[in-house]
Amino acid sequence: MNDRPIALDMRDVRKVYRVGDSDIVALDHATLSVERSEMVALVGPSGSGKTTLCSIAGGILSPTEGRIVVGGEDITGHSESQLTSFRQRKVGFVFQSVNLVPFLTARENLLVVDELGRRTGAAARERADELLDDLGLTDRSKNLPSQLSGGQRQRVAIGRALMNDPELVLFDEPTSALDTELGAQVMELIRSEVTSSNTAAIVVTHDERITDYCDRSVNIVDGKLQAA
Amino acid sequence: MRLALRELVRRPARFVTATLILTVIAILLMFLGGLLDGLIRSTTGAVRAQDADLIVYSDTSQASFLRSRIDPATRAVVEEVPGVFEVGGIGVVQLGARVPGNGPRDLANVALFGYELTPDGVPDPPAPGTAWADEVLRDDGVEEGQTIALGPARSPITVAGFVEDTSYLGQGGLWAEPATWRAVLARNRPDARLGPGVFQALVVRVEGASPGEVAGAIDAATGSTETLTVDAAISELPGVEEQQSTFNQIIGVTVVVALVVIALFFALLTVERTALYGVLKALGARSRTLFLGLVVQAVILTAIASAVGAGMVLVIDRLIPPGSIPLYVAPSRLVLSAVLLVLAAIVGCAFSLRRVLRVDPASALGSSS
Amino acid sequence: MFLALAEMRRAKARFGMLIVSIALLVFLILYQQSLRNGLLNSFIGAITTQSAPVLVYSVDGQRVIQGSVITPDAEALVASAEGVGEMGRLAQGTFSVTTSEGAFDASLIGYERPSLGAPETLTEGRLPAGPDEAVASDVDAADGFDIGDVVTVQPGGLEIEVVGLAKDAQLNAGPTLFVTYPTYLDAVVAQNPDAGEPPPNVIALAPADGVSDAELVANVNAQSDDLDALTKDDAARETPGVSQIQSSFLIIFALYALVVPCITGLFFLIVTFQKAAALTLLRAVGAPARRLVGALLIQATAILGLGYLLGVLLYAPVSQQRLGGIALSFETTAVVVWALILGAGGLLSSLFAARRVLRIDPIRATTGAGVGA
Repeated sequence: MNDRPIALDMRDVRKVYRVGDSDIVALDHATLSVERSEMVALVGPSGSGKTTLCSIAGGILSPTEGRIVVGGEDITGHSESQLTSFRQRKVGFVFQSVNLVPFLTARENLLVVDELGRRTGAAARERADELLDDLGLTDRSKNLPSQLSGGQRQRVAIGRALMNDPELVLFDEPTSALDTELGAQVMELIRSEVTSSNTAAIVVTHDERITDYCDRSVNIVDGKLQAA
Repeated sequence: MRLALRELVRRPARFVTATLILTVIAILLMFLGGLLDGLIRSTTGAVRAQDADLIVYSDTSQASFLRSRIDPATRAVVEEVPGVFEVGGIGVVQLGARVPGNGPRDLANVALFGYELTPDGVPDPPAPGTAWADEVLRDDGVEEGQTIALGPARSPITVAGFVEDTSYLGQGGLWAEPATWRAVLARNRPDARLGPGVFQALVVRVEGASPGEVAGAIDAATGSTETLTVDAAISELPGVEEQQSTFNQIIGVTVVVALVVIALFFALLTVERTALYGVLKALGARSRTLFLGLVVQAVILTAIASAVGAGMVLVIDRLIPPGSIPLYVAPSRLVLSAVLLVLAAIVGCAFSLRRVLRVDPASALGSSS
Repeated sequence: MFLALAEMRRAKARFGMLIVSIALLVFLILYQQSLRNGLLNSFIGAITTQSAPVLVYSVDGQRVIQGSVITPDAEALVASAEGVGEMGRLAQGTFSVTTSEGAFDASLIGYERPSLGAPETLTEGRLPAGPDEAVASDVDAADGFDIGDVVTVQPGGLEIEVVGLAKDAQLNAGPTLFVTYPTYLDAVVAQNPDAGEPPPNVIALAPADGVSDAELVANVNAQSDDLDALTKDDAARETPGVSQIQSSFLIIFALYALVVPCITGLFFLIVTFQKAAALTLLRAVGAPARRLVGALLIQATAILGLGYLLGVLLYAPVSQQRLGGIALSFETTAVVVWALILGAGGLLSSLFAARRVLRIDPIRATTGAGVGA
């Protein structure tokens, strides 16, 4: 480890679900730190706890035990509404199924993030245009998702995740719906955006090829983390 | 909020059917309300117009002008009751009127009133042999200055001018001085003839006392009268209460149907949007914001439906031939119907609140793993 | 079948709401049908129930029996018209009466000849055989107008005994008593001792052999512009307010009839849209489009059927009530006719959703794009 500031610090995090009469441990004493500009691949089979880890790191779920600090903010004891506001400010998500708002243009899909939080107006519009430019989507900014290709939609989703200048971006299988070539292009784009925006990233995948684009890989099996 | 508006603008097609249904319901509500207003207006206008507190009938008349008789002696007793400020005699005769230019069998329905105290909007009694006519009689071809012939005796009455909203039991009001009315009554309804000074009822203005108490005092003093407040007298007109309660029930159930339609539509829409809501919540949207979006959409849909409905009802009002349907389209009725619909929309949306609250932002992340 | 019903069981709230809204609409339609028929019956029932085929009013009466007055001259003109077989006087007035149950406004109809003005059929009892007897409208029996009850005309105190009951025999939405002409005159005098003998309000006629009702009407009207002869059905139809009631309700019914198919159509359209992915999958695994459309139509039929049934169940008890002077009744014909109208409309509208099902391309299941994409 070098001396870059820590963006995500998870310590001894456990998540236990109660299903019927039995407890299911989805995450077992997981400890993970990610620095700014660092990209970590989270690799594991289905049901291994990848989504649970991401959900907890992103402030969607609260852990049963342990401590989580993101960008210096300890979110361990946050209430639901505090978590909502935390997500607005500090986290970006790119979902597996892209999930753009179908009736909004590419540019408006970026601006949604601003509308949900404390509005900044002109600053947000400037930021959206800058991101669209970075992502090579300027001439597509007025298109609806249905008028975009799969790769373009994924790029809009990446732009949306970066809109709020997050401390941490979570990518959930970002290339699963794309072919190999397009997947590679998207990963290169993610790599460069993460570096240039000085943000931390976790990329959930079970595609080993994706790990090449990341600084390091962490395996997760049955809720337990293991360095690759 | 802006998201909800954008969806309405960008995807109008998905809201069209619901808006159409709501429009039909809005037309129904406004039409039903217009019918009720029209019926009540044409039935009660003359009584509502009375600028007085009380109406005194004879006690066996069941509050019917036709069967009520108040002689001068009774009137003198009423005038002496404390709290009674002014007393005026009133009487009516319902007849067919022959209007110049109309066919020999094409008669206008009129209710000729003889009055002393001027009702709201009706000037002082005109010269003998003339009367103020209600606007609705224009539909029968009645014009100012014209002489129409009343009843089988063809009693001539010249129209002095027009007044508004004074119909009585569906017949257009004619307002004349008492002697003119008494003469027409005697010639056309010999069995209902009344002597000089005798009226069918008295209207009473009260001062310095509560009308209810004065009414009791009048009946106690005369021993032969039934005194009602003007509002009670309106309710006693045949059919008024039945019409009001029936129409209001029908309107109420129709509002419930609108509520169910909205609830159903937005419940389905919410189910459909579960994934989108999950994403938006993960991005930091509050349930409140999402629910507010639903409400805004519902309110806009019903507002559009109400506006179109009101327009349609106005068109219907224009298209129907005068006198064929007792429809009276009042702005207040249109606004009231719109408000009821918007309220139903808000309540209807509330059924989706639980579902919006229950959407888990975690569902946006691959729930398969 | 299995698919259709399984889905309905899973999504009870959704389908339940649709059923409830259809039930409410059915209830409203049927209730208003009862109301309309009740209103018409209570205003003009007596005119259609009485036995005279032709009624002659004075033009001034404006087709209201009580408002019409037949002068001796007019009566003579009627008598001299061609084709008159039988002729009798009819008189009608509204009287304040008391019964054991309270005070009422009652219509008294006095007829000279039972074949020209008395109720054609009785539900119970007999026609008046002598003075101070009456046949009453059966819906008012419970208000002290039942057989054996005594009705007192106020003021004056003339007592009339009810000896028979007739169905749909009201006039002016109130208790109605059919009495002999002399009894009617007694009631008038009892109420107002100073009144002379009132003229008849209407002349009741039956045509001579070989003359039709319409011919008789034309013959009488040709006698004078002051005579207004009508067949009894026309007299009922032309009573002031009747056509207004009919056209008002026609518009109301048309609007309600529009709402039901719209709601069903919208519902199935949205449901189909929602299940697009599942339907696409079913098509991909080999379900023929016909089966899926069949399932949809089964659901539509089940929902319309259940909604209708629930609506009728709501309507049945309400249809037995009274609204002031108006007696409602369960309208079996309306229940059947509206079932057909709404059933057909609802099924037709759900075909819009069926069209969408037919357009589903099973290949899309493999590309991950549903119909909704």
